[in-house]
Amino acid sequence: MFFVTYLARELRRRMRQAVFIALGLALGIGLVVTVIAASAGVKKAQADVLDSLYGVGTDVTVTGKPPAAPSPGRGTPPKGATTFQMSPSGAQVCTNGKCHNAAGQTIDNLGSGSYDPFSYSSVASVAKLRGVATAAGGLSLTDNQITIPKNFGQSGSAAPTPNSFDVDGVDLGHLSLGPLSAGTISSGRSFAAGQAQSNVAVLDSGYAASHKLKVGSTITIVKTVFTVIGIVRQPQGGSPPDVYIPLARAQALASGGSGNLKNQVNTIYVTAASAADIPAVQREIKHVLPQDTVTTAASLASQVTGSLASTAKLANDLGRWLSILVLAAAFALASLLTMAAVARRVREFGTLKALGWRSRRIIAQVMGESVAMGLFGGAAGVGLGFAGAAIISAIAPKLFASVATPTGQHIQAVGPGGSQSLNPTATHTVAVPMSASVTAGAIILAVVLAIAGGLIAGAVGSWRIARLRPADALARVA
Amino acid sequence: MYNLTGVTKLYQKGRHTVPAVRDVNLVIEDGEWLAVQGRTGHGKSTLLNLLGGLDRPTEGAVELAGQNLATLREAQVTRVRAVSVGFIFQTFNLVATLSAAENVEAALIPLRTGLAGRRRLVAAALESVGLGDRAAHLPSEMSGGQQQRVAIARALVKGPKVLLADEPTGNLDESTRDEIIALLEKLWREHGLTLVLVTHDSAIAGRAQRVAVMSKGRLSIRQDTRG
Repeated sequence: MFFVTYLARELRRRMRQAVFIALGLALGIGLVVTVIAASAGVKKAQADVLDSLYGVGTDVTVTGKPPAAPSPGRGTPPKGATTFQMSPSGAQVCTNGKCHNAAGQTIDNLGSGSYDPFSYSSVASVAKLRGVATAAGGLSLTDNQITIPKNFGQSGSAAPTPNSFDVDGVDLGHLSLGPLSAGTISSGRSFAAGQAQSNVAVLDSGYAASHKLKVGSTITIVKTVFTVIGIVRQPQGGSPPDVYIPLARAQALASGGSGNLKNQVNTIYVTAASAADIPAVQREIKHVLPQDTVTTAASLASQVTGSLASTAKLANDLGRWLSILVLAAAFALASLLTMAAVARRVREFGTLKALGWRSRRIIAQVMGESVAMGLFGGAAGVGLGFAGAAIISAIAPKLFASVATPTGQHIQAVGPGGSQSLNPTATHTVAVPMSASVTAGAIILAVVLAIAGGLIAGAVGSWRIARLRPADALARVA
Repeated sequence: MYNLTGVTKLYQKGRHTVPAVRDVNLVIEDGEWLAVQGRTGHGKSTLLNLLGGLDRPTEGAVELAGQNLATLREAQVTRVRAVSVGFIFQTFNLVATLSAAENVEAALIPLRTGLAGRRRLVAAALESVGLGDRAAHLPSEMSGGQQQRVAIARALVKGPKVLLADEPTGNLDESTRDEIIALLEKLWREHGLTLVLVTHDSAIAGRAQRVAVMSKGRLSIRQDTRG
């Protein structure tokens, strides 16, 4: 009781200094809490983006190796590729060596441009591995539709503009894996098991709205008409495919190096038995499929570019170091002010020693005062952290995450107007709302930092008390 | 009570050595009132500090009740001060943020006396110095004389064997000075204390049983009225 009374009276006597010290600690701790909150918000945004790319519940993703990029204007086009040619007779489209006049035509190609396909039997091989709970195959495709102007290749003509949209071939036996699993059917229904060979499609809600499509509408994929049976709404911030069709139909319509992609997939979605199994599963799959790319959410995160990635780096690097610097400055300031306060109370401490107080009791009194100031600073810091997080959530602009993938298509034209070539790419760019939330861990860290700050300041400030000779202390002029 | 043998205290001031106390031999009996006079800077306060274990002699022995304070560890000396020695200072040395009662209570904290016991002893101590009604007052709310009374209560609350007073009336006016000395004398008699009082004032010194004079660090006895 005496301890608390003495402590409280002393803090009240030097209220201004105590407030100054507490504010300094509050700023440092508040910054730490805000940075942690911002980092948590960015991590959540990244997780949302990753979930939308591969779906909730997917721990490991296997994709075929990226296709080799063709050299523009040189070399033989890959087998099955569509090329243009300019000749005195006009523009021509050539497929597998057969050419015809391309003027006014629309070329529609569904390709596995992002990844090379591999055998569907690989899915079963992966599913048998230890630590794997479920595995499902899929096809991530891009439908490129190009309309060639009637005067293409002639002087002054414009290059054709490709129109692309993403198509995902879904394994109807494993609807809980893959990008479709993350969404909610907002209209119509999802696929039924018996529709594996049907020309039915589920559309992403954003794509449907922008193209004024609804349940019952039709869309054309490689000159095949699909009926829309459902609209799916994906989590905000995701970059979902635009169209989902049954895997078997995607395999039949898509074209790859050797024709269609029957019994082929270019993606395997894997769920591990537990989070602890993920690294081992990744290694085992890599051993079984050495040519292919095996990624986890952690490794995919490194491929995401855009302002989301920049903000994550900012929060993690600059934010962390800035917090450490400000906190160190606050601790130093608190220590110096405590030392000054102790210096002014030398005579008082000498008197206490004369009364029979041991040094450690006096030191405990000083430490108690410092820790009390630290706790006040910590409480204020948590408040500042909440305020900082709220400000970030309120005013921060949307962040953008981009993952660019080549489609593998190459369109080349040579004519009087010069050489023109097109290498369509598909870039997933998503807008992610930035939010910051203070976690329980951040609050606990704030309390720990507050107590640590108080202890450090008290220890530094009171180190001379133990060495204080009572006679010298009492000789000081008050 | 005290037996000082060949006590010398030297201070180092740069390249110079200052002898504050030189080869003092002194025996102070139990219950004796010894006054120590002398000019400023001749070693009076240093002698008092040595008697109270606030400083250690460069040479010699300072025995209090058979214990040589010069050879005890710091924790042991602190314990001796907590139990057996009461101090009164010229400038009162009260803690400004604590009330009169809390200042007196501070002397009982090292003895780990329980809260109820502390309150009882504090109340009795303040009553004995005539300040029972000022327990809640801060030092800034009291006169110099009242503050010194609180300091006396603080020194005596633990029932020490020895009371060491360094110029207890130095900061007081004449009438207050007389009150304080009268109070000290009364308490000295009532409690059977061993009182060592440093003073410039010959009138105050004359009330003691024995008067010692410090001159350039050396002690001599000028007056001895003990029976």
